[in-house]
Amino acid sequence: MKKLLSYLLVVLTAFPLIAMGSSESGKEIVTIWHCSSGRAGTALEEIIDEFNSTIGEEKGIEIEAVYQGLANDVITKVKAAASADISSLPDIAQLDATACLDMMNADYLYTIDELGIDTSDIMPQAMGAFTSYKGLLGMPFSCSLLLAYYNKTLFDSLSLKAPETLDELTAIAPLLGEKDSSGNVTRYAFAGVPTTYELGAFIGAQKGLSYFVDMENGHQGTPTEVLFGKEGTFRNFLEHWKALADTGYLNSIPSGTTAEFASGRAAMILASSSNLTRILADVSGRFEVGTAFVPKTDENATGGVNIGGEALFCYSDSDAVKTVIEYLISTEVQMKWSQATGYVAVNTEIYSNPEYIAFLESNPAYSKAIEQAEASNPKVVGIWLPSAYQIYYSFQSNIMEVAAGSITIDQAVDNMVSIVQTALDEYARANID
Amino acid sequence: MKRRELKAFAYIAPALVMALLFSYLPLIRSFISSFLTISQSGQIRGFAGFGNYIRLFSDDAFIRSIGHTIIFTLLFVPLNTVLTTAAAALTRRKRKMSPVAEFIFLSPMAVSLSAYAIVFSEMFRGRISIINRMFSTDIAWLESPGTAMLVLVILGVFLDFGIDYILLLSAFRSIDKDVIDAARLDGAGPMQSLFLIELPMIKPMLSATVFMAIKDALLISAPVMVLTEGGPFRSTETVMYYYYLEAFRSGNRAVESTIATLSVSISIAAMAAISLRRRHARKDF
Amino acid sequence: MLARISRFILTLLLCIIIAFPLFYCISMSFFTNIDFTDAYAHFLPSHPVLDNFRTALQNRYYPRFIINSLLTSALTAIGRTLITVMAAFAFTHIRFRFRQILLIALLGTMFIPPDALLYPNYRTIAGLGLIDTYAAIILPSLFSASALLLMISSFVSAGQEYYDAARIDGAKDSVYIAKILCPMAGSVVFTLFLQAFISSFNSYLWPLLVTNRNSMRTVQVGITMLGFADGGEYGAQFAAITIIVLPFLIILGLGRKRLSEYLSGEIRL
Repeated sequence: MKKLLSYLLVVLTAFPLIAMGSSESGKEIVTIWHCSSGRAGTALEEIIDEFNSTIGEEKGIEIEAVYQGLANDVITKVKAAASADISSLPDIAQLDATACLDMMNADYLYTIDELGIDTSDIMPQAMGAFTSYKGLLGMPFSCSLLLAYYNKTLFDSLSLKAPETLDELTAIAPLLGEKDSSGNVTRYAFAGVPTTYELGAFIGAQKGLSYFVDMENGHQGTPTEVLFGKEGTFRNFLEHWKALADTGYLNSIPSGTTAEFASGRAAMILASSSNLTRILADVSGRFEVGTAFVPKTDENATGGVNIGGEALFCYSDSDAVKTVIEYLISTEVQMKWSQATGYVAVNTEIYSNPEYIAFLESNPAYSKAIEQAEASNPKVVGIWLPSAYQIYYSFQSNIMEVAAGSITIDQAVDNMVSIVQTALDEYARANID
Repeated sequence: MKRRELKAFAYIAPALVMALLFSYLPLIRSFISSFLTISQSGQIRGFAGFGNYIRLFSDDAFIRSIGHTIIFTLLFVPLNTVLTTAAAALTRRKRKMSPVAEFIFLSPMAVSLSAYAIVFSEMFRGRISIINRMFSTDIAWLESPGTAMLVLVILGVFLDFGIDYILLLSAFRSIDKDVIDAARLDGAGPMQSLFLIELPMIKPMLSATVFMAIKDALLISAPVMVLTEGGPFRSTETVMYYYYLEAFRSGNRAVESTIATLSVSISIAAMAAISLRRRHARKDF
Repeated sequence: MLARISRFILTLLLCIIIAFPLFYCISMSFFTNIDFTDAYAHFLPSHPVLDNFRTALQNRYYPRFIINSLLTSALTAIGRTLITVMAAFAFTHIRFRFRQILLIALLGTMFIPPDALLYPNYRTIAGLGLIDTYAAIILPSLFSASALLLMISSFVSAGQEYYDAARIDGAKDSVYIAKILCPMAGSVVFTLFLQAFISSFNSYLWPLLVTNRNSMRTVQVGITMLGFADGGEYGAQFAAITIIVLPFLIILGLGRKRLSEYLSGEIRL
């Protein structure tokens, strides 16, 4: 029994040590927690292998990349690690806008300015997405924006153009939609329910620039007041959205829209520009895929869209981390990354590179995203909120219920104002002096 | 004698350390925290009294998560009990084909939660799902609130099926043969024998599995996480999933500590009520 | 006759329902991508391929996930059995001070659902610097009050006289436990071991929380993070599941008879 016990102890203690054995090479390990899977995951792995065998070999640095699930799984991990044991934090984490408010108030974060990395070549719209009053919180890396995808073959056969406003979409919805003999809809004009991300365009673009909450959507400090209620922007959106729903050709499904689109059961969807390669693969030539600007809420909603996607946040200010970040935003890496994934390249030097220009010319769907980014007001930025994940779902539920007619527009506005205001108050009470 | 006592303490020490470290200390910690205001980084910012509890109950999402948990329990427990009891009753006598059926009914034990969840999300994916094809339906199962809860319930049944089945089967098979034979001689048919003799005899095991099912249902979180992430439209967010979201994703210490304290109190109260009733029942006899 | 037919039909129906997800998973592990994105769902692969299994096994970490799971489950099962046997032995064979109070304290943890203490337990593990170790995965499930209760009730029936005889013969406690007590309560010890192994192997949330590195992840966490589906390699996801489920199915098939006999012998109504 004693033998067994001591054996157990040896095994218990020895295995974790073996697991950490990668440091035996004597190199400095830089850990990255990321959320890139599939095509992006493979590309990232290649990029990192390349680093480890070249620059890393030279400078004695090794990147260890760990996939931690979706972007919100990574922030969950980071926050859990930070709240219990700072030493279990990675050196770098790939996080999206939902993390920004927490990162802005986190004392364990090193901003890009603190690391002293040159950002003069970084696309201003992408920088704006992650800039707070404390500076650039994370280095934009996998940037994307909302794009409208439409069934071009269908639109062409009806000689229709991609709608520029929600009203236009509402007007052509009956033409795009289709019913079978028993009255069941077999093709919807549009599938999806907007969340915080899509509302960035539908609310943020109104009157040229509208914020959801004060402090410029939380970028200039912890937000304390909801604006989309009293400024009427959410109501305005809901009125146009309800009109679309009333055509009967709006399919209010919160997920799986790509599959609906690919199988030809939805004429149009909104999705991130980074989904482009995936969508093209899923459609696999059944019809021609068109990309267009996101329909505006109304004629005055000229702000465009905000840049979304993820940035690299640093929890260590070592030279090795700096080297890794500089490598990841270098022209070569961004070129490869953007072509492999559909992410918008953040290094502006690339846009004058002949190889990249040739790529865009042969892939017009990609250039639509960049065109739209450039046409957007850089002040239209993503919203930084506490409990972002829960609020994301609340927006969806309320919009869906308005579309289904089970609550009124007034109720939806009241609900959302109260939910977001409560989250702001709760956060301020526990975290702000 | 002293030495033997020391020895006894040494034998129970590991169990005691584990119980203290992972049950009592965290419970005390949560209990105290539930009356304080604590920031995400763990700083105590003041005394909150019952403020955390009041805020918890005024949170619409929490109240709704209680509703979802109750709905899940009400759907899951009967379905699970009926199906596992039926499977065990159908295969309780050893027949030619019963090893095959037995193996199939046990097979869910070999499949874990995340494996089943991934398979289920494919089986119910979109409108072109295999389930829609089998039943000629046109339902976006995981994208509409009511049906997503139903899929979650079915997943729950698969997760508990194997273990409940074997427990009930063993209970059936350990019934004294003489009792059943005597009933048959008295003219009881197979159905009468099952419902009037055998089921009452396995009642202790049956109530144990029902009890386990209720406990599992009230505490369900991981299946929600892997299958629906609480969606669509937060319609499958259960209390424990809400706890997970608030504790780990939002870093909301108030919610985390109050839910922990509440659920332990409820569990103790429920246990006390059950044991009191049992004692009463025994006295009545 | 009617009864027999309806019983047969019912059994068949239930079997189909229960077996379907597993059947479909195995079937999908032979699908090509077109089978997944087709306009209607397939039951069987249009032309079965083995590529998915190759992709799954080529994943850098998948074999490691399997090893991690087997090791942590085995260690949990061994650890829990040891701890439970030792404590149950003390409570049933030795008189000591505070015995009653300690027993109540230990069994009292049954009322404390561990799911509600996820966060403080995570902090404890992190505070001990155990994140990303096997110990982190194992420790919180080493003690189980229901296991202790079951073990005590089976040890009580073992009877004091064997113990007294063994002690007169000069046998050490450890020898008595290993050679006499445990064999007498064999089926309970076996059941506890198996139950600990299965529940540890199947746990998802806790290993997800306390492991951050690929090299420390268990299968249950790992198969949700293979990311095959995002890359359009839908089939590989199911091949990975099939690979991990098949061995367990075989073990279950082989051990089915033993298992149900063990349990039937144990359950007294």
